Amino acid sequence: MTQNPSHEPDDTADDLAADGGRPSPPSDGADGGRPSPPSARTDGGVAEREADVDYLDTEINILKPKTPFMRDHLKQVWAGFVAWTILTWGPVTATFLAPELMTQELPIIQFPAHYFTVAFVAPTSSLVLAYIYTRRRARLDEKYGIDHSTPAESEGGSSPPEEGAAVSDGGEAE
Amino acid sequence: MNVDAVNAALLQSNELLPEALDISFKPIPAVLVIAMLALFLVVGYLFKVADTEGMWVAGRSIGNVENGMAIGANWMSAASFLGLAGLVALSGFYGLAFIIGWTAGYFVLLIFLAAQMRRFGKYTAPDFVGDRFNSDTARALGALTTILIGFVYSVGQARGMGLVGLYVFGTDYATMVLIMMAITVAYLTLSGMMGATKNMAVQYVILIVAFLAAVYVVGLTGGYSTVLPQIEYGALINDLNSEFSEPFANSSFFLWIATAFSLVFGTCGLPHVLVRFYTVENEKVARQSTVWGLFFIMILYWGAPALAAFGVDLYDASQYGPTYAAEGGMSGGEGDLIVVLAAQLSSLPTWFVGLVAAGGIAAAIATTAGLFITASSAVSHDIYTNIINPDATQREQVLVGRATIVVLGAIVSVTALDPPALVGELVALAFSLAAIVLFPMFFLGLWWENTNRQGALAGMIVGLTIWVAAVVNDLIVPFSDLYGQVFPAIGAALVGTPLVFAITIAVSKATEEPPEETKRMVRQCHSPEPMSRQESAEDVATDGGETPADD
Repeated sequence: MTQNPSHEPDDTADDLAADGGRPSPPSDGADGGRPSPPSARTDGGVAEREADVDYLDTEINILKPKTPFMRDHLKQVWAGFVAWTILTWGPVTATFLAPELMTQELPIIQFPAHYFTVAFVAPTSSLVLAYIYTRRRARLDEKYGIDHSTPAESEGGSSPPEEGAAVSDGGEAE
Repeated sequence: MNVDAVNAALLQSNELLPEALDISFKPIPAVLVIAMLALFLVVGYLFKVADTEGMWVAGRSIGNVENGMAIGANWMSAASFLGLAGLVALSGFYGLAFIIGWTAGYFVLLIFLAAQMRRFGKYTAPDFVGDRFNSDTARALGALTTILIGFVYSVGQARGMGLVGLYVFGTDYATMVLIMMAITVAYLTLSGMMGATKNMAVQYVILIVAFLAAVYVVGLTGGYSTVLPQIEYGALINDLNSEFSEPFANSSFFLWIATAFSLVFGTCGLPHVLVRFYTVENEKVARQSTVWGLFFIMILYWGAPALAAFGVDLYDASQYGPTYAAEGGMSGGEGDLIVVLAAQLSSLPTWFVGLVAAGGIAAAIATTAGLFITASSAVSHDIYTNIINPDATQREQVLVGRATIVVLGAIVSVTALDPPALVGELVALAFSLAAIVLFPMFFLGLWWENTNRQGALAGMIVGLTIWVAAVVNDLIVPFSDLYGQVFPAIGAALVGTPLVFAITIAVSKATEEPPEETKRMVRQCHSPEPMSRQESAEDVATDGGETPADD
């Protein structure tokens, strides 16, 4: 199960409204310093619509994502997790259930099938899936106009990156 | 379920000294190892740090390939370099549970935790637990777990270094353990995290070159393989004793799954792995460096079973064989050194075997460094500064951190003189602890905002109890067969982790919801909006204010 089917794509606003018992924070005051994501893109308006979401006011629940971004992200996460579960635990379980079949020799590489699938295919699949996930997640960032290369400056006195860079040079600070 | 097989393997480890190993002082390998250690000290000195930010998280300035290498070096300890091939050689198909267990977890870590942890933006795992659950008790439990993990894990490293040192310097095992640990401690107290991270890239290169050289050269000289030993060893498997590959000959299906499960989810709970995500620029780099890290790890893991197969065949053919004899056979000490032994039994020149041995030492030192840094920050940052003396100056913190490294080094050395298990098994114990106690806290803490202090405390206490009882039952004073079957120490997480999840959720639901600031902090970890490098989720959620613990 990856999604709560009762959530229509546009019920974010309802969810936010339903949260209304909680006083909404003076968002201009508390968060206003943080620039919203560079949303001036015109690719379908997703980024623009997301810019209206106050993420600090929207519940995090892995089974019931409340924002379009979370929904899209969790779709990738769960799809990856299901693929990973099958590829990682499938070969050893198949070897347990059908030892005769699984211990047969593979053509060309001459491996016993169970040994090759468990020692090579399963771990390698994690690497391939990790690569695919990172690529797809980067595309999701693009869709929502998220750009990590120019990090937002925080409000309220966090040190600017330059200062961090000096420290990272290996303690020249002292 | 075949607990006997595991016990037999554990007993075997008492045959500490590898009979087949050529123990003597060898000048060229000794020079190689000493030069390598000197290089670590120089790099560590050049990047030494004097402030706490640098000591622990390297100023959050490390890029993705470099961090990927650091993840790889940090990860690939003596357990990967030496222990893994040893387990595959000695335990046959069961050994493959360790290959899956020590790789597949990175995907779970990537999709569920890496970026969110980076956004949370705190120094250490106990910091995460303490701040997320608003509790100094949780912080202390997290710190205690971190220290226990560092301890168990490092005993495996000390054993590995001692055994490899025997080949190079030829004194006795105890002296080698003490010397190697003294060097590790000296290096760490001099350099801190920044030096350690810079060194990790160097250490990765040394260990991977040494390992690949062993796989390729042993494969070539033995006539086993040519260009792709990682695949070509397949043809050898059917010629070896069936114990090498017969499914579930040395363990039940349950124990296999339990072991791999513990290792996979332990990967996601290990504090010294997570701390690597705090050292990167932003969450995107955190994701990319996970993929790089796993790639760098796979380079070794593709080759380990090949080297195990070559090693078993060479051992069978030697005067010491066969490997799987009812009497004698390959001992635990020999299994742990199969990587070095395979090179030695191939009659390769001593300088080459010395290079392989140096790789083993680099692997052990890199990981011990990461573990000790994490444990020392748990003591100095989480326990001393946060709980005992909130007014501690930076100088005092660094001092306490260094003292911790020295004390921990001494305790680890003493325990490693007579270790209770194989290198790989000792390390696996640390994973099962991380999987039971820390992984549920990280996962629920980041993905379910209603997880609260009471739930976390209940879950962590139950988790710690399950693990301690399992280790006592398996290795120290056996008290229950049934408990040992449900919670084998190495695989205690298969039943333990879901149990801790259930308890944490049930208690959280039965008690009051966490405060709004905490929820906002969790939301900030998932928000798509970019954050600046030095910013933590708490800064954003509470507008920079620190929230004091509730207890």
